[in-house]
Amino acid sequence: MKLIKKIFYFFVREFKISFKNLNDLFSNVLFFFLAIFVFVFAIGPDKQALNTFGIGIIWSLLLLSSTLSLRRFFQDDFNNDALIVIHMGGLSYELIVILKIISHFVFVKLPFLIAIPIASTLVHIDYNKIILLLISFIIGSLILSCLGSISAAMNLLNKRNFALGSLIVMIFSIPMIIFSVAVVNDEENFSSLINILIGLFLIFFAISPWVSAACIRLALSNK
Amino acid sequence: MLLINNLHLIRSNKIIFNNINIAASSGKIILIKGRNGSGKTTLIKTILNIIEPTNGEIFWLGKRTKTNIFKFYKDTTYIIDKSTSVNNLTVLENIYFWKNFSSSAVSHDSIYKLLEILELKEYLNKQVMYLSLGEIKKLELIRLIIEEKKLWIMDEPYNNLDTNSIEIFNQTFSDHLNKGGIILFSSHFQPNIIGLEVILVN
Repeated sequence: MKLIKKIFYFFVREFKISFKNLNDLFSNVLFFFLAIFVFVFAIGPDKQALNTFGIGIIWSLLLLSSTLSLRRFFQDDFNNDALIVIHMGGLSYELIVILKIISHFVFVKLPFLIAIPIASTLVHIDYNKIILLLISFIIGSLILSCLGSISAAMNLLNKRNFALGSLIVMIFSIPMIIFSVAVVNDEENFSSLINILIGLFLIFFAISPWVSAACIRLALSNK
Repeated sequence: MLLINNLHLIRSNKIIFNNINIAASSGKIILIKGRNGSGKTTLIKTILNIIEPTNGEIFWLGKRTKTNIFKFYKDTTYIIDKSTSVNNLTVLENIYFWKNFSSSAVSHDSIYKLLEILELKEYLNKQVMYLSLGEIKKLELIRLIIEEKKLWIMDEPYNNLDTNSIEIFNQTFSDHLNKGGIILFSSHFQPNIIGLEVILVN
């Protein structure tokens, strides 16, 4: 019961922090929209072309904008040692990572659920495809949050080159991009493709707490 | 209760500290004293199992802390020489997070009273980033009273505090010792506390 209470108050804290940093979220969404505009202007007003490339463009930009928000994953709590105090409060590093992944998904990724339908209309995507896009986004962004936790935790060890973490996310998210775009474009094989996507999520969800927690431990002991 | 046996730490072929032995029973206060950069914080982190020692063992209530780490943490409050509060939350929000997180039974009234003694009451709804270094330190030290644990481990608790606050905290420390608590802290100067045992780190 105490553990559930601790988890609850951890989420309350995460919510308050995200709420106070709303401008971060806003700049992420703004980046996403501006990049879509750039693509729309670059490709031109050809509806057919936009319709063909639209899903791919949206997914690539979601990936890019997700790398922007990685800094906030562990960095602040690591810098001021709040991670140690929370850990001493009775949560293992693995559990902290899982909670951070969930809160990152809820407070950073879910607002995109509103942004995506608006962006889809800009690139002329059909209504029924938007729903498929949202479903693939929910699972895909869970994968991105898991990968993000690994990259953010690895970045704690690396004080100079912050771009390296984003590169790791991009390389490992290639399978996710392939299947999430396919889910939307290949409606006939929807169920099998979505199963593969869920499988990918489960693999990353199983790996990321251990890898991230190991990196956090190492980073704290080398601080 | 806290027993540290022959603790060694070697990093990059350099001895950080060696042969540290500490035995602390109820009511004991121990100072880890040393110059800047002598490894006081590293020793505290090693005791707390954040850094793995090269050699040596640590026991809490007769059990090895390495294998029973959460039993050790359950009785320990660690005050770091940094602000662990969230900078853009208010003083009150930070205090209540630690209070709720540690399921503390301290009443609202006593928290307000404490804040009044520490002259923090007027900053209740101010964000932590606007506090001075001394006020941040006081906010950190409030966690000692909120968490109500037996073993207090502190890294440089006197930094940035004025003489008035130092007196208040020395009084708090002796009250805690009288109740059977244990205090282990690091500092580069020696405060005037009765029964203080000093361990030198070079």
